[in-house]
Amino acid sequence: MKTIIFSTAIRLLTPVFLLFSVYILFRGHNHPGGGFIGGLICSIAFVFHVLAHGPGVTSRVFFSVVLYYYSRPKSHSYTRYALRVLRANFRNKRDTDEPHKWSFVFLRIRPLYLVATGLLLAASSGIVSLLGQKPFMTSYWLKFELPVIGSIGTPSLFDLGVYLLVLGVVLQFIFIMSKE
Amino acid sequence: MSHNLLLVLPLLLPLLGAVACLLVGQRAKVQAILAGVVQAAWLASASVILYEVSQNGIFATRIGNWPAPFGITFVADLFGALILTSAAVVGLAVWLFSLQGLDFERKRIGYYPLLLLLQMGVSGACLTGDIFNLYVWFEVLLICCFALLSLGGTRAQLEGTLKYVTINLIASGLLLTGIGVIYSLFGSLNMAVLAQQVRQHGHQSMPLLSLTSIFFLTGFGIKSAIFPLFFWLPASYHTPPIAISAFIAGLISKVGIYTLIRLFTLLFVSDLDFMLPLLLVLSGLTMVVGVVGAAAQTDFRKILSFHIISQIGYMLMGLAIYTPLALAGSVFFIVHNILVKTNLFLVSGVVARLHHSFSLKKLGEVYCRQPMLALLFLVSALALAGMPPLSGFWGKFMLAKGGFEAGNYTIVGVSLFVSLATLFSMTKIWNEVFWKNKPASELPIPESAPKATVPTVWLLYTPVVLLFIAILFISVYAEPLIGLAQQAANQLLYTKAYTDAVLNQ
Repeated sequence: MKTIIFSTAIRLLTPVFLLFSVYILFRGHNHPGGGFIGGLICSIAFVFHVLAHGPGVTSRVFFSVVLYYYSRPKSHSYTRYALRVLRANFRNKRDTDEPHKWSFVFLRIRPLYLVATGLLLAASSGIVSLLGQKPFMTSYWLKFELPVIGSIGTPSLFDLGVYLLVLGVVLQFIFIMSKE
Repeated sequence: MSHNLLLVLPLLLPLLGAVACLLVGQRAKVQAILAGVVQAAWLASASVILYEVSQNGIFATRIGNWPAPFGITFVADLFGALILTSAAVVGLAVWLFSLQGLDFERKRIGYYPLLLLLQMGVSGACLTGDIFNLYVWFEVLLICCFALLSLGGTRAQLEGTLKYVTINLIASGLLLTGIGVIYSLFGSLNMAVLAQQVRQHGHQSMPLLSLTSIFFLTGFGIKSAIFPLFFWLPASYHTPPIAISAFIAGLISKVGIYTLIRLFTLLFVSDLDFMLPLLLVLSGLTMVVGVVGAAAQTDFRKILSFHIISQIGYMLMGLAIYTPLALAGSVFFIVHNILVKTNLFLVSGVVARLHHSFSLKKLGEVYCRQPMLALLFLVSALALAGMPPLSGFWGKFMLAKGGFEAGNYTIVGVSLFVSLATLFSMTKIWNEVFWKNKPASELPIPESAPKATVPTVWLLYTPVVLLFIAILFISVYAEPLIGLAQQAANQLLYTKAYTDAVLNQ
């Protein structure tokens, strides 16, 4: 379904979906919403992106990190080296006329890693209270409220874990099914 | 160690282990090491729970610090702790077996995380004190079993898994209906609160409780393969590799019967006059049908699968007789059966690994070539059949004595007859696999079959020997376990300790 109208619309809508999913995630404690539905909404963005561009593009755009680096020549100071590496990674500008060659590491964020991270976050949100001699999953809240998000506590961490878990599971489905 | 920590450790350890296994990706060796560490820690935590319960009685923790009728409670009593500990022993053995007994591909694509999540489900089902939470843990079990049974995706496996999942989904639907009815009748899902309410005379919802109990009997009856609902079990348990089916066959149907015993001693006590004879008939039929079904089979694993059904009958028999001694017999028998059945499956795996077949017609001469393996099989098989002084004898002795004392002579007669038939069935395996001359095989062994080198064989034998020692221990030195089983039965029948531990902490 590679039409230009669809792919342009998706480009505009993706941030909306992502922002809305985060909003739903954080309003979930006292209102309808939460990690599960937030994760589903977040995955809608990627589902549409896969429909518009194919799974290969989606995983390259959103779920891979390329880190550029080169071995520091003696003539470069540490500061200069650090600045150049930062510039190469963040602004994607690499001078190719230099004698040194850029190498890179390619990190792919597999959906299963999201699942694992989500499980880990959710489990550790319960472990926090064990450290304080309270029963598992007793909630702790920060005393102050953050401006937009509201109050933050261990249940938010749990919700975030669920969010990542659901996102990872849906992505895994989507990537497998769109390849077939 | 604080009870809050101790009660969630058997759940947290496998969960964190599974997370770690997922995070290291597809590195099967690292996953194997992580899973092994978790197995050891799981066994340790289960043993500590067992020790703590046997010393200080039942204890509970409130998840999220919500008081008992509102939040979810986790309770450890002796019955749950015993099942959990034997599950952990079996888990360790199956992990050891999987190191050599499972192909690399299955280990790479997620055997270890699934096994660990399955163990988390077992821990949850053994420890939870909330009836809806129990259902959730059974779903965890079901999903992990589903994934494990179909792992690798051969045709036979998918066929077996499909049967398993279809019938188990129906069972889950029935359970959910029953839970819904209970909630609408009593307004609570906490088992301790429910146990108090059903013991108040003249509660207006009492007559409907027996109706609800039928939902649970059918649901858990399907999951634990009781008489008319057992047909999915032999159709699915023999299809996956042994490292998977040994754990599932050895443990999962026992978790179903564990829950039945728990619920019918704690909650559904209002209409025992009707329920106990029904259970008695079901248990007798389960025993007979299982053992008769086994007689017709010629596949090592299928015979063992049918015997699972027949043994489930014994466990149900203790519940149906409903005296302390008979229930203690059931508890003892469950523990004994988890160990023995897993060990027999592992032996069949070793035989198949060395001789490349599960079919009784193709095997032979194992006694001549691997006398050690034959000995290991013989002891486990005789324990299963109930030869004194092995562990099965003590379980059956307690059950039979309980039956005689309660005056249920027919069921005792049936159980003794079934023991004899079990012995016959085990003798059949012994004759065919270990004793007779190996038939000239028509097909040469394929070149691609994995070679069994000396360290490989040692690693395959280790879990069998481990379980063998455990079986011998509870056979020869049965007194402590019998004592624990009797205490567990008392805790089951006199629920005040349970409700007090949950409600007055």
